[in-house]
Formats: sequence, structure tokens, C-alpha cells
Amino acid sequence: MPAIRHASKRKAPPAGFTDIEDDLLIFSNKMKDAENAGTDNVPRHAVHWPIFQISHQRSRYVYELYYEKEAISKQLYEWLLKNGYADAMLIAKWKKTGYEKLCCLRCVQTKETNFNSTCICRVPKAQMKDNQNVECVSCGCRGCASSD
Amino acid sequence: MEKHKAPTGHSYYYNAATKQSTYTRPVAPPVAGPVAPSPVTPLDPSQSFLQYQAVGNSIPSAGPNFNNFSQQQGQFSGGRGGFQGQSQHGDRPANYRPRPKPQPNDKPKSSRPIPGHEPWALVQTKYGRRFVFNTAKNQSYWRIPDKLKDGILALDQSRIKEKAEALEKEKQVNSERAPGAAERPALEPKEAAQSHGEGEDESAEYEELEVTDDEGEEGGEENPSKRQKTKEPSQDEPVEFDEDDIAFQLAAMGQEYGLEPGEYDDGNLEEWDEGAVEEISYEDSAYLFKDLLKDFGINPYSPWEKLIEEGKVFDDIRYTALNTMKARKEVWEEWSREKIKLLRELRAKEEKKDPRIPYLSFLQKNANPKLYWPEFKRKYKKEAEMRDTSMADKDREKFYRDHINRLKLPQSTLKSDLLSLLKAQPASTFNSTTLSSHLPPTILADIRYISMDAGSRDALIDTFITTLPPPPESVPEEETEEAIKEIKDRERRQKALEERGRLVAEEKRRQQRNLEFGKGRLRVEEAEIARAMNVTKKGLKNHLMTEDSGDKPS
Repeated sequence: MPAIRHASKRKAPPAGFTDIEDDLLIFSNKMKDAENAGTDNVPRHAVHWPIFQISHQRSRYVYELYYEKEAISKQLYEWLLKNGYADAMLIAKWKKTGYEKLCCLRCVQTKETNFNSTCICRVPKAQMKDNQNVECVSCGCRGCASSD
Repeated sequence: MEKHKAPTGHSYYYNAATKQSTYTRPVAPPVAGPVAPSPVTPLDPSQSFLQYQAVGNSIPSAGPNFNNFSQQQGQFSGGRGGFQGQSQHGDRPANYRPRPKPQPNDKPKSSRPIPGHEPWALVQTKYGRRFVFNTAKNQSYWRIPDKLKDGILALDQSRIKEKAEALEKEKQVNSERAPGAAERPALEPKEAAQSHGEGEDESAEYEELEVTDDEGEEGGEENPSKRQKTKEPSQDEPVEFDEDDIAFQLAAMGQEYGLEPGEYDDGNLEEWDEGAVEEISYEDSAYLFKDLLKDFGINPYSPWEKLIEEGKVFDDIRYTALNTMKARKEVWEEWSREKIKLLRELRAKEEKKDPRIPYLSFLQKNANPKLYWPEFKRKYKKEAEMRDTSMADKDREKFYRDHINRLKLPQSTLKSDLLSLLKAQPASTFNSTTLSSHLPPTILADIRYISMDAGSRDALIDTFITTLPPPPESVPEEETEEAIKEIKDRERRQKALEERGRLVAEEKRRQQRNLEFGKGRLRVEEAEIARAMNVTKKGLKNHLMTEDSGDKPS
């Protein structure tokens, strides 16, 4: 079991954290709500969809702050990654062409599917038959191809 | 089936058999309805899932009670997705609270300062009435004083022009939408909600219903224009004015102020619409949207989704300056990037504040020798000074203990300590011109400064400051060597420029003189040639004769 560190003994976050603290708090509150929401009448595979969604949004928020708006420092970005405010593996995918909008890592994991293919949400909208709407099984994504 | 009266005065109907209550009186108990006693009867298509239960029911002789029981079971356990609404339906009267009818209470909606009459502001109420408000005296009058009238007129004209511009844009945006959708009474949504509140099914949360889309669908039959509104709430919400309204208001205003019809734009909105505001360029609308973001105090660090979820900006007319969400997002991104950059530059400029200063003053106010540090910390853990992350908790504790220990020392020691602290200050920062309210941070951040109680300490410092020498002369020069260098450079550049100007002027003058000189010589030569050409009958002799006489130019 890791040592429990009291909040007051912890090192202060890098400068600039106060700017984004409120928004991160909103995300964490949302996440708590989603965790505590009842799962009655929710299909079994869809139980974790909101969790995935919020974690994606939060990662995206941090990613955009650092890579697109350049609003936070590298130290703060790394601190955020280390403290679990964003998913580093997912962000690593976003940097690659073709994966700019990837919803979750499970959707590109070909080994886990029956036909060794990616998830349906990775298929571009243009190639789908007559505007069929899909919600992928793993995270409820409705399409995350870069061309969409 | 019984008729009951709810505590709020509404009457409702309660079916004891199905334990269902409705507001509308069920006309004929449907054969296929949920009350159906026989399991073989065809069921309501919406409840087709019950069929399987009914078929599987192996005890056909079971009475209606049993059937009802299974029915309830089906409703509550089998309901996945679509049947959720029905299960809530049953217990509605218990937590149903009808809202009171909206009272026609008017309240101020917007206030604008009247240009030229500074403390006065023109306030518009929800129902369009207007009054003036003196912000200095906190007084408001329905009757507008004469001296303000021209200011208000100017204000109105500018505002109406603004509205017309926005309207023009609005028209472009939703040209395909029904024209009647824009003008509707402000009260309508509430009334609509009221009218169909007695309708069929809705969830227990009333407040939410009023804003969601499905409410529009429910109320759609009674109120077709409503549906249009709920589809695009962002676009037509801010519009309450029509062109006719504007023209009318303008005309009325003109009459009110006794103007000739020519002095204001008398209803011919189209004329200056075409001239001035027909086409707003993308840059302008982007700037409008940016202004909107600025005025609403949007945090540039917040995500776009937060802005949309909050929906504060939807009501502003400038929100419609851009047509598509994509464009809005783009502009928002650009704006937030700029803003963040600006903020960062600002922050780099302003000097770092010592976190110890507020903490020490907080200690002086609240520290108490009766409290141990953990107790003190627990007591004030919510305070900003105690939560400031730029100061370590260890330092806070150290300061607290030091301060408490020093409080036990005799006053004379504290006083001498303070004096030694004051004496140790360099004359450049602490001298006779120092204000006692703006002491240098080296003093403020010292524990010795807060040990004495504030009154006697301030008196002591004031007297000490009067004994100090004036600020040394050379020090500011040393400090501002950079600035002086700057000034010298500038002077040098200035001088160089002047010198160059002088040289240029001289050169010019010399050239001018050369030119004049050359011209003069040319003239003389010309004259000579002219004279030489002037040969008369006497021939060259004539010339020679004039040369001889010497005083007869031709």
C-alpha cells in the first residue's frame, strides 16, 4: 500500500495550476457524479460510457491547453499527467496522424476483437452505409475518425 | 375511479384498481388498458412487453388483483428505456408541485450610462418601460429630466442602429425560418409551460422540463411557434424587437423630443440598412463575438463545452454575429489564445508578491498564545492565507511558533528589536519620503514587525521616519542606469537627426546657389548672343562702335 500523503505535506503544484483549477474541479465533480450514478436500466456494456466520456474530455482539455493554446507550462503539463488529470497514453495517440480524435485506447486495440479489426467508431462517416448511427460498444463513441 | 382534490387546488382522478392518477378525466376506461382483467385481451401496443408475461401466466383463474400485481411488477422491473416514464407516472401527484401563475412584476433588465451626463443611467425594465437612475445619489425617476433628453436621444439612436444591424444579420441567418417565429410575447414560454402542465406525462422535475427539447414536443400541438423556438433557442432568443417596433419607437421618440421627421431616421430602416450594415465582414463579426466573450468575463482557460453548457452567452445578440458553431468555436479558440498570452505577459510584468506579508498580518490579527499550532491551523484552515500554496506549511508553523514566543517577551525588547530592524534598512528604500502605509517589503515580511501591537508600532514607525535622512541623490541614478542610458541614447539619436537635417539643408542651399549662379551666367551669355545676333546694316562696325563708346547696350 502506498504511503498516504496529507494534502498539506504535498508539494505545491507548479505555477499556473490556479488558472485551471476550477475547470479541473468541475471535471472531477462530474466524474464523481458519473461514478455514483445508478446503473439500473443501463445496458451492461454501456455502464462505463460516461466515465470514458468524461476522462476523454478532461484529457482533451489538458491536451489543448498544452499543445494548441500553449497556455500551461511543461512542468504543469507533466505534473497533470503524473497526477492523473489526463491520460498520457491517449494523448500520445492524438499526436499521430489519423488518430487526432481517438475516443479511447480500447477502440484501436485490434487484438481484442474477433476479426482483428478496430472498433466501428473508427470508420469514417463517409464509408458508413446510409448514415447509420453507431455507438461503439467499448466507450459509446459515435465516430472518431479524423475525417469526420 | 374517484375524484380528489390536490392540496394545491387542482382536482385529479385516481383509479384505485390501477393505482394511477390523472389530471384529465379518463373518458371511457379502455378495454385494452392496463386495467384489463383478463390476460387474454389484447394489450396496449406500448405495453407489449406485458404480453409475454400474460402468456406465460399459467394460472388463468387468478383474479384481477393478481393481474394487477403482475402488471405493477412489469411496470417497475421490466421497464428498460422507453418505459421509464410510465413508472414515474404513477406516483406523480405525490411530488407534483404546480408553479404559481407568473405575477406581472416588472424589473429592470438593462441599464446604460447616458453619454454626456455622467452619473445618470437609463434603465430599461422587463416590460419595456424606462426610467432614469442617478448612480451617484441612488435615486431613480420615471419622469425624465429635461437636461437628460438629448443624451437619451443619442443613446436611443445608437442602440436602435445596433439592433437594426443585428436584425439584418438575423435575417440572413434564418431566412428559411417562419417569419412569425421571431416576434412572440416575452411571457409565452411560461404560459405554454403552464398550459400543458396539466397535460399527459412528464417527469417530476418541473424546472428541467421547461428548458429541454421534449417539452417543446409535448407542447407542440397547442403551440406551433414554440417548437421552432426550442429547436434553435440560441438564434431567436435575443430578438424581441421587430423592424416595425423599432420604426415605431423611433417615431414616437422623435415626437416626444419634438424633432422634425427629417432629423431622425423616420422609419426608413431599409435605407441605412443597405448603406451601412448590409454586409458585416467575417472579421467584424469575429470581433463582435470576441467582445461578447470579453464582456461576459469568460475564463480563457475554460473548455468550450463549459461555455456552451452554461449558456450565458446565448441571450446576447452578438452571439448570432457568427452563424455556425464551428466558426464560433474557431473564434473562441483564437480569442482564448490571445487572452492567455496577454495574461501571461501581464503576470510576468507584475512583481512577485511575497506570500509572507499577508500571512504575517493575518498572524498578527489572529494568533493567540492560548492556541497551539495544530489548533490554530484547524481553526483557520479555510482562510486564504492558510491555504496559499506558494508558502509551505512548515514555514507557516515556524512563523506561528516564533510569533507566539515573541509575544511573551517584554515590550521593551520588542521595541528595541523593531528599532534595530528599522535601522538596518538601507536608505535607498527607507527614508524620510517613505509613507508609513507603503513600507518596504523587507520590513513587512519580518517577524519583528508584527510583534508589537499595531497602534503603538505605527506611531513608533512614524516618528522614526521623521528622523530619517532624505533619500540619497546618487542612488536613483545608480538604480536607473538603464533608463539614463536610454535617455542618452535617445538624445544622441535626436542630435544626430538634427545634425543630419542641418547638413541636408546646407547642401540644399549650396545647390540652390549653384543653380542660381548657373542660371545667371546662362542669362548673361544669352544676352550676349542676342546682342551678337543683332546685326544691322552697318554690320560688325556697329558692334565695335558700341564697344568703343562702352555705354550703349542694345
